[in-house]
Amino acid sequence: MKKYSMRFIMMMIIVAIVASGCQSGSSGGEESSEGTVSFNFWSAPNPSQQAFWTEMADKYMEENDGVKIEVTPMPESPSSEAGIQSAIAAGNAPAISENISRGFAAQLAASSAIVPLNEFDGYDELIQKREMKETISTWKFSDDNQYVLPIYSNAMLFGWRIDVLNELGFDEAPKTYSEVIEIGKKLKEQDSEKFLWARADLVKPTWWARWFDFFMLYNAASEGNKFVDGSEFIADDEAGVETLGFLDNLSKNDLLLTREATDPFETGQALMMDIGPWTFPYWADKFPEMKMGETFELSMPPVPDGVDPANAKTFADTKGISIYASATKEQQQAAFDFVNWVYSDAENDMKWFEETNLPPARDDLSTNETFTSYFEENPQLIKYAENIPNAVPPIDNEKTVEVQELIGKEAVNPVIKGETDPKEAWNNMKEAINGVLK
Amino acid sequence: MNKSNARLGWLFASPYLIYSLIFFLFPLIWATYLAFTNWNLIAPDYEFVGIQNFIQAFFSESVRAAFFVTYKFLGMFVPIVVAGALFLAVMIHSLPKFKGLFSVAFFLPYLASGVASAIVVNGILSYNSPFNIWLRGTFGLDIDWLGSSILAPLIIALMMAWKFAGYYALLFVAGLESIPKEIYEAAEIDGAVGWKRFWKITLPMLYPSFYTVTILAVGLMFGIFTEPYVLTGGGPDLATHTWQLEIYSQAFERLNAGFGTAIAVINSVVTFGSILIFRKILEKWGAKHGWE
Repeated sequence: MKKYSMRFIMMMIIVAIVASGCQSGSSGGEESSEGTVSFNFWSAPNPSQQAFWTEMADKYMEENDGVKIEVTPMPESPSSEAGIQSAIAAGNAPAISENISRGFAAQLAASSAIVPLNEFDGYDELIQKREMKETISTWKFSDDNQYVLPIYSNAMLFGWRIDVLNELGFDEAPKTYSEVIEIGKKLKEQDSEKFLWARADLVKPTWWARWFDFFMLYNAASEGNKFVDGSEFIADDEAGVETLGFLDNLSKNDLLLTREATDPFETGQALMMDIGPWTFPYWADKFPEMKMGETFELSMPPVPDGVDPANAKTFADTKGISIYASATKEQQQAAFDFVNWVYSDAENDMKWFEETNLPPARDDLSTNETFTSYFEENPQLIKYAENIPNAVPPIDNEKTVEVQELIGKEAVNPVIKGETDPKEAWNNMKEAINGVLK
Repeated sequence: MNKSNARLGWLFASPYLIYSLIFFLFPLIWATYLAFTNWNLIAPDYEFVGIQNFIQAFFSESVRAAFFVTYKFLGMFVPIVVAGALFLAVMIHSLPKFKGLFSVAFFLPYLASGVASAIVVNGILSYNSPFNIWLRGTFGLDIDWLGSSILAPLIIALMMAWKFAGYYALLFVAGLESIPKEIYEAAEIDGAVGWKRFWKITLPMLYPSFYTVTILAVGLMFGIFTEPYVLTGGGPDLATHTWQLEIYSQAFERLNAGFGTAIAVINSVVTFGSILIFRKILEKWGAKHGWE
């Protein structure tokens, strides 16, 4: 009995070990055979982006017999970043994927999980053909490499309820801090129940929330200062204190609603809102009355008094393509060639724009004739296109999460709550960030 | 037992044993090893850092918060959900008809996704929800429900209790159904009716269900993630920051997988320790009422 039981247990352990060791034999796709190179492309986990990349892959394979591309949506449990991380750990990473933010790319690059795109044959040709020299210049990492090719770039803008502004006696969206405060004071005089900006995240340390409040304002105030370079904190102190001072001023004048609220901008409870292009399909569905020029206007973030609004920069909500180090050299080059082919034709960017509403990261988006008719139909996207070169991507540091959490915890949150004055908050934040970057 | 029966026993048990080996034992060994390294799951190179991760966790403000927040949740959730489930079970049990229908109806919230429930609660508590507008208009009450470090955990505990009460009620209903009618009849002859009957007969006889429900509820509090993640993000000021939020943040947002795993190991030790204490307390109470 003992002998049989032991044999059985041993057999189970062997089966378990073999089963747990079962995983894809190669990362990035199947091994190349008979002159064919196969690789996996992970698209963002949403149907429109997956459909776009599937169509591109099918067309490319029709023209290139020796390439086999399998497009699948990336796992997003509990997030797409975690899905990629798990896949790399398990040796199942694709050869190439989209949906990579610059901050995450910095983490991946620091661990040598992705490869520099500028080292591929055809890189210069790609940048030239896609007209993205200026846009991609801000994407260079501190080691002078490009690890992500931006696909789309949302130059984040502020929306203003122009109908309410007109009622208050203002013709256009404000451009400077004092103009914003003036509008806010007038709004409160008229209706103390209304607010200038409804944003619950202002009192939360959520790291990514800083992209859509602090960085929008800071980039405008500092004319696009880099904030962190490599492992050095190089933020513009004056612009930083001015930015926090502006938030402090808004808070002290009771112009901020920092509670969760349902559609406060759309219902007219708040006058301004940080807006990306993804808002418009939602409005078309739920708030058809939101029409540009009638109910809302778009503007670049306001700047401190004395700073020229014409030089204002903003935050770029943007994601792109990366190629994984775990794929073979052959797969990597084939993946890059595929991307090069896709972006050699502006019509493909047009198709992307139509399907996703996300502005392609091109310098010539607002001037290229390919996109003219689309902008005529969707005038609300013109300002996003025009400001692509003025949009600063997220910081490229592997400690992005910690750094941005500290911006909230040490600076934005306490200033909004009235616990710390802007200068002290800025210094506290600076000290904490320097501690993390060491 | 003869050899053939023994083999059959192993055969039937083998799927579970293999499953446990693959999905519990190996990951457990792997995680324990990882907790002593600084690996981020991506980099090809990493180091063995000894107990550094555990020391770091001991001094971490957010890990300490996760520890205390769990007991705060326990203190709120367990009494509410046990009392709520018991109440529902007694109500369902006393129904003359359609017991199954009502049991299923109260069980349904358990099936709802945590994200969906949290979004609904968020909508109800938002500043401009009809409920809050009514509160402000009628009583002049402007309550920051999710911005208060006292109310936010209470809301999450209540929401979880709403979700799980129906499920736990099923266990209580099964317990109620198993109490022999003769005991009640004998108690009635002795004059035990109404509340007295409930306290002296029903509750002690429900001990097995009570034990199961309490232990399940205690264990649940060490693993909550979705509700605080969606509703509060762990705030305000770490008031709803749970173990799982901390593990997720360290391992998947900051890519500190080694440190995150060390926290997971600490979490499992704390969980087992806490459950053991609760078990001992319940067993003592059970022994007092004749359950050995």
